Amino acid sequence: MFSIIFRQELRVLKANRTWWGILGLLVVLTTIAALNGNARFEQMATTATKLNQDEATTQNALKAGVARYDANPVGEPPSVASAGNVGLSILGHYAVMPHDSLAPLSVGQSDVQPFYYRVTAHPSHTFLSASEIQNPLTQMTGSFDVAFVMIFVLPILIIAISFDLMSSEKEGGMLGLIAAQGVSLRTLILAKVAARAIILVLLLLGLVILAATLAGADFSNPQTLITVSLWYAIVVAYGAFWFALSFLINAMSWPSVTNGVVLANLWLLFVVVLPSVVNVVASTLYPAPSRVHLTTEMREATEEADKTAAASREAYLFDHPELAGGGGNLDGFYIQVLATDAAVEKVVTPIMAEFASQAAKREGIVNLLQYTSPAIAAQQALNALVGTGNAHFENFVAQVLEFHSNWRGFFVSKVVKGQRMMATDFDVIPTFNYATPNSGPAHSVTFGALVFLALAISVLVGWAVRRYARYPVV
Amino acid sequence: MIFSIAKKELLSALRDGRVMWSAAIFVVMLVASLASAAQRYADISREREAAQSIVNEQWQNQGEKNPHAAAHYGVYAFKAVTPLSFFDTGISSFTGVSIWLEAHKQNMAEGEPARDATAIARFGELTGAFTLQMLLPLLVILLAFASFAGEREQGTLRQVLAMGVSPMKLYFGKALGAAAAASLFVIPVFVLGVVGLVAAPGGADFIGHALVVMALYLVYAAIFLFLTLAVSAAADSSRTALVVMVAFWAVSSVALPKAAADAARMIHTTPTAVDFQKAIAADLESGVGGKSLDAMVAERKEQTLRLYKVESIEKLPINFQGVVLGLQEQVSNAVFDKNYGQLYATLNKQKGVFETFSVVSPRLAVQIASMELAETSLGSHIAFTVQAESYRRSMIDTMNKAMTLNSTGAKPDYRAGPELWAKVGSFGYQHPPLSGLLASLGPSFMVMFLWLIASLVAGLLAARKLKVMMG
Repeated sequence: MFSIIFRQELRVLKANRTWWGILGLLVVLTTIAALNGNARFEQMATTATKLNQDEATTQNALKAGVARYDANPVGEPPSVASAGNVGLSILGHYAVMPHDSLAPLSVGQSDVQPFYYRVTAHPSHTFLSASEIQNPLTQMTGSFDVAFVMIFVLPILIIAISFDLMSSEKEGGMLGLIAAQGVSLRTLILAKVAARAIILVLLLLGLVILAATLAGADFSNPQTLITVSLWYAIVVAYGAFWFALSFLINAMSWPSVTNGVVLANLWLLFVVVLPSVVNVVASTLYPAPSRVHLTTEMREATEEADKTAAASREAYLFDHPELAGGGGNLDGFYIQVLATDAAVEKVVTPIMAEFASQAAKREGIVNLLQYTSPAIAAQQALNALVGTGNAHFENFVAQVLEFHSNWRGFFVSKVVKGQRMMATDFDVIPTFNYATPNSGPAHSVTFGALVFLALAISVLVGWAVRRYARYPVV
Repeated sequence: MIFSIAKKELLSALRDGRVMWSAAIFVVMLVASLASAAQRYADISREREAAQSIVNEQWQNQGEKNPHAAAHYGVYAFKAVTPLSFFDTGISSFTGVSIWLEAHKQNMAEGEPARDATAIARFGELTGAFTLQMLLPLLVILLAFASFAGEREQGTLRQVLAMGVSPMKLYFGKALGAAAAASLFVIPVFVLGVVGLVAAPGGADFIGHALVVMALYLVYAAIFLFLTLAVSAAADSSRTALVVMVAFWAVSSVALPKAAADAARMIHTTPTAVDFQKAIAADLESGVGGKSLDAMVAERKEQTLRLYKVESIEKLPINFQGVVLGLQEQVSNAVFDKNYGQLYATLNKQKGVFETFSVVSPRLAVQIASMELAETSLGSHIAFTVQAESYRRSMIDTMNKAMTLNSTGAKPDYRAGPELWAKVGSFGYQHPPLSGLLASLGPSFMVMFLWLIASLVAGLLAARKLKVMMG
């Protein structure tokens, strides 16, 4: 009986223009979103290449200058041979995080969190606060990416094709007839849902593969294959949640219009209201320390350190190292710069630690509260899988900080020991190598979301099945 | 007749559980977001004022130093907030809150709150504006989607028309009834908001802004009301009317703004931070009007020596280094004007793309206008950076002049003190007058007005051709 109804439904759908329209819309929106995400990340990759080229050019010029002196060391060494001048004034190393090949699927935090930092030998807060130029208006609105289509649009399409599955049969007077044939209502609705869900699930598989291919995913890489599969699993589970919800609402034997109203309100609740409420809760419980306060504290510390330094040297020269004379004189100057840096860092470090610990607590509470809404749980997983969630950027910052201490150590030890830069030193300056983080945390976020969605679906379906047993056919 | 129809519509809305549930969610969210806005305004305005006065004091008490060293020390400008900026946070999560004003450099604002937020903040911030932009239309749709289509399904539409009620009267009666029901939920919250605004420190200055904002949201609601009535009158069934309106609401409020953002980025590309700084460095190198800084210095040196009739700068009664610093600022100011000017022009062109998209999305139109009035728009942010920069320039100028005139050959180790620091004055953001904000809102007002007229006309046309029977 199930298969008869199922095949009948497929025939009905085939002739239904709205159905084709909805599928077409999903294909078009996903394709646009995929292309859109690609454009963004291609731009970022171009920027990264340019940064590395710029840096190589600067470094080669410095090296050449020093090499000339190395070959013929007559008189004072040039200022480009001063380790302090190179490490604290001229040179910076761009620590770049290459994006995951699937990142275009879910832009996540990529438009807010920097994907590169210009590391110098100064304290880390001086370069960590830098950001890329972007229109705040476009950041506020967010990106039209594949994850957006799946989280926001897919539920609306699912609601549109399923909100009146039972109620319309009842309103059309068909239900009594069908029931009289000995078909159970459960079989009827399951066949109807199954017909729609199977087509949609297959279409979504095609769309996810299409989007991943457009993004340039290498399917021969098992890691990529796993990520794409998990991403698809989240999309399917999230879609199934909305089918299950619609299945339950249909079981309430309300008029079609009421079903529509209730489902639209539920969409609003899960996709719009709850995320904004969870955000308010998290940021009220664990607010970020004030950046304004950080600014004034830093200033106080700089001023204190400057006063101490000024006692031994003209403050004026401080701001104009070029006036301080040749390379030899620079060493003393940079030792004082390091002293000022250290004084400021002493003040800034605890405040930065406070930022980090509050952020960790905030993420913790969000990880808990994400289970109030399938939309949050799914979005978090979709971001985590392709490396655009906050955790991924925190890992990048941690790597940058570790690299920073190497880079800094390299120059500081030279400044303190009074050694100048030799041409060969430029070959051994530390470089940043991004290590792709272990996929473990992203996978556990995903499994958490999948388990949650599965539980939610079984509760909804279980409830609905009980309701269908008492469904009035007329 | 119109009033009795309206009364019937109002009563049936109030008896409809679906409507009351949606209204309850709406009112709770609106009140909660306004209360949290009041709290955040109190906290953040206090914090910003305190910070501004701390940096002003730090500047004043920096001790005696060479004026140019003081210019390097600099001050910070903090962005001012208005009570309405928490009703509609606009772009403020994505813009820095302070700018360091120092010698030689125009810095960008720092400390974007979004960097300290969790990823779910990207779903949207819970503010009064967000609630009104997203939930109010849905409430209006629920109130009105069945107006005609529902009566047609029940067969009462035919009876009413057979009684000789004109379709126009029916239309206006239904519009009035739904508007009355919506007002019942919205107006008390608006009154509450105004009372809260008056009670907030400095809030009274923004009553005019608030009234315009409220009028805008009422127009926005009216657009959805007329559209829903039009669709309800033309649709086959109330089901279709509901699906069409919910789809329109979702697409125009959620999807189109995002499409606008991506289109804006693709059509008008902003430079990367590195390229932007490189362009500034290159321009500084080449100077102004084809004349490099070195050439300008040489020329000025010759003029100055001639003017004072001396052979070398050591013999000048003024400090020539101060003059050089002044020339440096002259060059760098021109370079900053050019580069920041271009950047702001690009950002404004991107905003223009949003305005174009607002032709198909009433939410974008109301959002652009609402942000502008709350002073959380792109325009307000640029205005803040421009005012901070002009303050910086006058500060640097004061320092350079003091150095030129006082740090002369006779007094090479001249140190300025608190009298000079006090001359600079403190930074305070000058809010644009309401009339200025309104003037910049021409395009958004026009779009909203067109939507209002178009939806009203569509409703009237649909009512005139009212189909009596189903299908």
